[in-house]
Amino acid sequence: MLSEKIKSIYPSLISADFDPITGTITIQNDSDGKGDYIAKWEHPTLPRPTQEQLDAVTGA
Amino acid sequence: MASVITATTTSGLTQSADNSGVLQLASGTGNLVTVPSVTGTAMVSGNMPAFSAYNSTSQSVSSDTSAKIVFDSELFDTNSNFASNRFTPTVAGYYQVSCNAYWSNYNGGAFVILTLYKNGSSFKELARLNATSATINGSALVYLNGSTDYIEMYWYSASGTTTLFNNNGQNLNGFSAVLVRGA
Repeated sequence: MLSEKIKSIYPSLISADFDPITGTITIQNDSDGKGDYIAKWEHPTLPRPTQEQLDAVTGA
Repeated sequence: MASVITATTTSGLTQSADNSGVLQLASGTGNLVTVPSVTGTAMVSGNMPAFSAYNSTSQSVSSDTSAKIVFDSELFDTNSNFASNRFTPTVAGYYQVSCNAYWSNYNGGAFVILTLYKNGSSFKELARLNATSATINGSALVYLNGSTDYIEMYWYSASGTTTLFNNNGQNLNGFSAVLVRGA
């Protein structure tokens, strides 16, 4: 699951960071069969993870 | 039969009268409004879109993820403006939008948010709750331009995967909208 991979890369992130209204990161799924994706990344200090970083995470 | 007042493109207003008690207002472009002969206040209803949809199957939403809610079945769709979980009305105006959902995460509970999206972005939070299981609902009034504007419903689940249940027809969840005032 994408959110678990991101939290594995950045353990300091909590669910409040992903709040669609008040958070700085939005993980979205448009129910079109394409799966989860990063719709918004506006975190003030952490850079958006690269695809290579996400692919390197196993077990999430 | 009716008494008719017409706004023409050549002679201004024209009128014809009879004793039917029915009034019609017509424009030079062919639009017609009929005010029936009734006792009390007459409500004039024209081509006013309304739809009601629901999901016939359950949907699982991953933790910390905003997922578009699937509505694969329709109770009605008067103007054929609802398709693929999206309402795109072809009449401009102000729409009263409602949504309800029955959900659960019996494995420790979850924090959930029901959000109305307009044109692909969050527009208004309708409900927010931290529980293990509940039915939540919300409504909003939104302007839609009658051509490109569309609305959808999204479900956010934090601290655990949630399931939007449906095992009882249209009873457990729904998404609906109706035009309440023209542009």
